[in-house]
Amino acid sequence: MAGPSELQASAFSAAELEFLAEDETIEIVPNMRMDPLNFISGDFGPFRPQIATEVPLWLAVALKKRGKCTIRPPEWMSVEKLTQVLEAERDSEKFQPLPFHYVEISRLLFDHAREDIPDIYMVRSLIEDIKDVRFHKIGTGLEIISKERTYALRLKNLSAMEANIVRPFITRALETFSKLSSSEMIQESDHVPNRQPQAMNRGPRRQLKDR
Amino acid sequence: MESGAGESSATADDYESLMSTTDAELLKRSWRNEKAAPEILKFDSDLVLRSRQQIQLMEEMVEEFTRNGVDPLTVSLYQMDLDRTLFLLRSYMRTRLQKIEKYVFHIDKTAELWNRLSKQEQKFAKRCAGDLKNHLEQSVLSKLPDQYQSYLRQSAASEDDDMVPEPKLDAYVVCRSKKYLGAFQLDDGGDEPVTIEADDLYALPYKSIKPLVETGQIDLV
Amino acid sequence: MYGRKASELVKELASSEPGQLSSFNNDLFAQVLEECNGHLHHLQPLMRKIQEHENKLKDTGRSEDEMGNSEDERRKSEAAKTVIQAAMKSDQFGALVHHLSLVRNKRCLMAYVYNRAEVIRSLGWMCDRVLPAEIEERLSSTEEEYFKNHAATLQSYMGGLDLDLTVDMVPPKDPYIKVRVVDDMGGVLLGDQTANVARHAIMFLRRIDAEQYITQGQMEELTG
Repeated sequence: MAGPSELQASAFSAAELEFLAEDETIEIVPNMRMDPLNFISGDFGPFRPQIATEVPLWLAVALKKRGKCTIRPPEWMSVEKLTQVLEAERDSEKFQPLPFHYVEISRLLFDHAREDIPDIYMVRSLIEDIKDVRFHKIGTGLEIISKERTYALRLKNLSAMEANIVRPFITRALETFSKLSSSEMIQESDHVPNRQPQAMNRGPRRQLKDR
Repeated sequence: MESGAGESSATADDYESLMSTTDAELLKRSWRNEKAAPEILKFDSDLVLRSRQQIQLMEEMVEEFTRNGVDPLTVSLYQMDLDRTLFLLRSYMRTRLQKIEKYVFHIDKTAELWNRLSKQEQKFAKRCAGDLKNHLEQSVLSKLPDQYQSYLRQSAASEDDDMVPEPKLDAYVVCRSKKYLGAFQLDDGGDEPVTIEADDLYALPYKSIKPLVETGQIDLV
Repeated sequence: MYGRKASELVKELASSEPGQLSSFNNDLFAQVLEECNGHLHHLQPLMRKIQEHENKLKDTGRSEDEMGNSEDERRKSEAAKTVIQAAMKSDQFGALVHHLSLVRNKRCLMAYVYNRAEVIRSLGWMCDRVLPAEIEERLSSTEEEYFKNHAATLQSYMGGLDLDLTVDMVPPKDPYIKVRVVDDMGGVLLGDQTANVARHAIMFLRRIDAEQYITQGQMEELTG
């Protein structure tokens, strides 16, 4: 256990990512009547039987748990769409576009709205496969967009969970690259071992080979 | 610093998004940025004040609902919304406190950082620095030779404060812009701008995007 | 070897689990402090000797000016200077070694105390002003003092704010959960009332009420 510190290398805990995902909106079909809800986080409703309405996921799950609605799974969660994504994911080095919180959203729906998801077993296994394929290409699918003085990485289409997982690794790796590519750092490190030179990105640089 | 195409066209678009952004949304953004930034950011006192007012109003409303026999489902939903906002607020304040604790000597002697704290945080920081200084003096410094007793400097021969932990501003952060920001210069001497597209994630050194974080053009995630 | 004990102290820090405290290593800590004072004992006479060399050099310079400048005398005085300079250099390097060792030891001692202080502060978020005995006995007496002072500082801040920051450490969840009764339980305490529940009954309870029964295995949480 790392203690209750808010300051961690991975920045956000899994619970915090889930919290953020719960603010994404989703469509529900209520089976009851309820006045509009004027929350701090926004206004939702009114709720009428059989009339679909958009609410944040946390509200959808709360109503679902109390038997007050059905949840309409988002379009991207269909077998057809997910099959396409999985194929494209396998065929390409690049990451396919998916909702930023696809991992958390799908997990919340699997946990709380099982009967509202058609072909749930298929959907679940497709998402697992997609997660696996994406995770394995994290080493190849990220694009270095600058390496001249300062390294920069584009994480195109990476999801929140994936970015959070690779964050400690890529940030440390990029910092190391930056240091190595600055020859000034190498010279200075002889007599100033405890401090980082201010302008560690300036000066002549050694080119690192592309992968 | 930035030479973005998106910058000058910040007009109607921005105004609209500003008007439609709720305080809950803004609080969430401040929370994320604070959690992900290596250094302490400017305390958003207006936002915190507004959020606390809304929380109080909502607490009163929930009490009233309960008294007036509003159905328990509605009450519990309002309570959940309230809990979420309270969590964000507390976690935001807590994250800041922990940064103050961690870099207290550095913040204490750097005016720019000091001015980013709220009045209460400044009071906290002063006491915090005093507590830690006493502790270091009693445990270590008072037992060392005279010339080596400073908590800021290694020895009397040091030319500057060479023992104060500082946040690493060249640390990499993961960030995202809601809008196309165009070509962006990473550091002052460089000649290779990177293009920042809308809604894409980038891993960049914090210090090169710091101004964009401060103006709210880019969010840390 | 100079600095070895200090590096052991730091290694001890580095090898402990993040967020965990081992017992304050009084012995090793005292030994490093002793080593620091040892360096000072070497350092002081060396500094005096360097000063003496400097004075001698000045004297030689002065007598050079006073005396005539016959070839022979100048050569003699140059030779004397070289000898003094060589002796001074060796003392200067000696002093530098002791100075740097002292600085290094100081940094290690400070790192040890400073990093432990960080863990001690994080404990302050979990325990409300009083540390569990098994943790308290691992602290040095100044660390105990520090814990109390810092806890008071934190309390004073939260008091001024009128907001308790020690709750809500993790994001909130729905305060109600769905459970199934697994066992024959008879009466169940819910809030301030007792309810009779049947085996296999499915109920919607407050999380805080249900938690004890779930940990005891008498109820199970239902998802989906």
